[in-house]
Amino acid sequence: MFFTLIRLQFLKSVRSTSFAKSLLMNLFMGFLALLLLSYVFAAGFLLKRIIEQLAEGQNPLEVLNSYLIYFFLAEFMYRYFIQKLPVVDLESLLHLPIGKKRIVHILLFRSFISPLSLIALLLFLPFSLEVVGGEYGWQGVITWLGSILLTSWTLHWFMLWFKQRFDDSMIGLISVMAVLLLGTGSSYMGWFNLGEIMKPVFDLALLSPLPFLAILAFSVGSYVLCFKFYVANAYLEDLTEEEDVRFVNQSIGFFSRFGLAGELANLEWKLIIRHKKSRTYLMLAGFFLLYGLIFYKNPQYATEEGSGLHWIFIFVGVFITGIFMLQYAQVFLSWNSSNFDFYISKKNGIESLIRGKYLLFIGTSFICFLASIPYAFFGLQFLLLHLCCFLFNIGVLMHVIIYFSLWKPKPMDLNKGAMFNYEGMGAAQWLMFIPMFIFPYAIYLPVFFLFNEVAGVIALGVIGLIGMVAFKPLSQVNINRVLNNRYEISSSFRQEL
Amino acid sequence: MITVNQLKKQYKDAVVLDVENLEIPSGQCFGLVGNNGAGKTTLFRIMLDLVRATSGKVTINGEDVAKTESWKAKVGAYLDEHMLLSYLTPDEYFESLRKIYGMSEADLRLHLEKFVELFNDEVLGKKKYIRDLSKGNLKKVGIAAALMGNPDVVFLDEPFENLDPSSQIRLKKLVLRETENSRRTFLISSHDLNHVTEICDRIVLLEKGKIIRDLREKEAMMSELEAYFTG
Repeated sequence: MFFTLIRLQFLKSVRSTSFAKSLLMNLFMGFLALLLLSYVFAAGFLLKRIIEQLAEGQNPLEVLNSYLIYFFLAEFMYRYFIQKLPVVDLESLLHLPIGKKRIVHILLFRSFISPLSLIALLLFLPFSLEVVGGEYGWQGVITWLGSILLTSWTLHWFMLWFKQRFDDSMIGLISVMAVLLLGTGSSYMGWFNLGEIMKPVFDLALLSPLPFLAILAFSVGSYVLCFKFYVANAYLEDLTEEEDVRFVNQSIGFFSRFGLAGELANLEWKLIIRHKKSRTYLMLAGFFLLYGLIFYKNPQYATEEGSGLHWIFIFVGVFITGIFMLQYAQVFLSWNSSNFDFYISKKNGIESLIRGKYLLFIGTSFICFLASIPYAFFGLQFLLLHLCCFLFNIGVLMHVIIYFSLWKPKPMDLNKGAMFNYEGMGAAQWLMFIPMFIFPYAIYLPVFFLFNEVAGVIALGVIGLIGMVAFKPLSQVNINRVLNNRYEISSSFRQEL
Repeated sequence: MITVNQLKKQYKDAVVLDVENLEIPSGQCFGLVGNNGAGKTTLFRIMLDLVRATSGKVTINGEDVAKTESWKAKVGAYLDEHMLLSYLTPDEYFESLRKIYGMSEADLRLHLEKFVELFNDEVLGKKKYIRDLSKGNLKKVGIAAALMGNPDVVFLDEPFENLDPSSQIRLKKLVLRETENSRRTFLISSHDLNHVTEICDRIVLLEKGKIIRDLREKEAMMSELEAYFTG
């Protein structure tokens, strides 16, 4: 039975329509995973030396034990963002005479087979053999390493429960932020040192099996919690309750001034609000507003003389003012893949759809620009930078990205999550990163070398302004591209190809 | 008035549609029948300019559908759920269409009143997205949407499929009323011979992309179709 189900899983992924297209992508992702894991393993071998370098004269094991909790906090974070939920396959199995418990056991087991489960082992195995084994013998290695592994795996089950339970809700996001702030902020602010508090637990694990047994109990507990939750919710309905808020009429009145295009921009806005994937993009745009905090006051990028604009800031400015547009436009038409025929069958439907999207992009970029104004507190040059990047984004980059995205658009299921979901992404969508990096610098660098960095930034703004003046013909280029390819696009969206 | 001329659709070697000549006068209720794969939906899609014809052309009111767009304002269609905006509630969807077609709120209210019976209180005023509706209700939304904006021509693909028996009867009444009162042209494809012979003045039978019967005698339709389908 078990192997039948595993075989079905395998067939499903091999025979999915997107497999051949995404084979290269899968290979690439697999290669990347392998590379990262080998880095982790290498880091594991060097862990002792690294710690000796960083904390000279101290016992590496003591140091490591006092920082272990931060490793788990980090693990909590990356698991939250990366770990996938196994419920997707439930639908086709539920009606068969296989016990629900069995299906859930299998799904949970399958989710466990993942590179993420190996990270803790690869990172700490060499260290524990080298250091712990030398001082505490085999029993120490088993209980210490065992405690670490089980903590990591407890997080795995806990995260499966946590993500499904608070999927996509504010509570989930707030708890994750709280964990992050408490974990890092507390010792930074000097309230309490989480590392020192948790240290005795791992110290004890070297000598006695008690912590190991306690964590084992936790681990089993988290599996049971997860298992019970999944069994109780093994129905086709959504696990999370529908939020009524989403039904609130969120039309943006401003758009209705632009006729049919504005109307379709409003619809697009609803589409964004009501789908998980697009909502994640919107949230990312919020996070990216803080991106500047990492760079602008970083001494590494401080320039001795002149305006204080390091060349890398162009990139930061482009991202802060345009991340939503840049991401959303990458799969420009795929957002409408499930109802593209609707737009074709309306008079001027496609043209207005695209104009509406343009409106939306300009609107969101403008809001991001407004929200970034407080950076002027760091210096007025950042205001100039953001203004010019904003102009460049909507004057030039917007058209370029959309132009690239219209090269063989692919259908996309909007109801799936956004992180590491590459549906709708073809070669063109990946290649698009290149113009995103190159275009701003292609204009900035020559002017920078001729004059100075402020002139370079202003040049960006001026080119952006020219692009804005030429908005009509530039947008017409993209509209015509869609109109000319409408049959191919619509049939690929109906998945007939 | 719709004309189809020397229309051909070919995927590599396979000819899926080959219609030499077809004229559908205004106000006619035109039925299209045929077994699976006969090319009914493809024909509709080409007529609506959703699929490119390999050769030949379709005109609606004298306009070549592949070259102009103004005919779209006078044509309503519901072929499948790709023509709906599934992330809206039905109310929002009708409201959006109202703005697209430039109708007043009173127009929309009048229009939806015609569907009160068909909707059976299950569609409007519900906090449910279209994508979460049952297949039958989805169809009802699509049909009501296709009839919006006072179109001259309405395309419906399998309108009776997934509807419960009372809704099927209500839909038939609705179509008959619409053809009589406003001289609308209906193009309906269906597998349900009883319904389609009842409402249509003319039935065309497709087989492997070719028109093999063009029936206009209401009395003889049913027996001739039954003879064909029983083989």
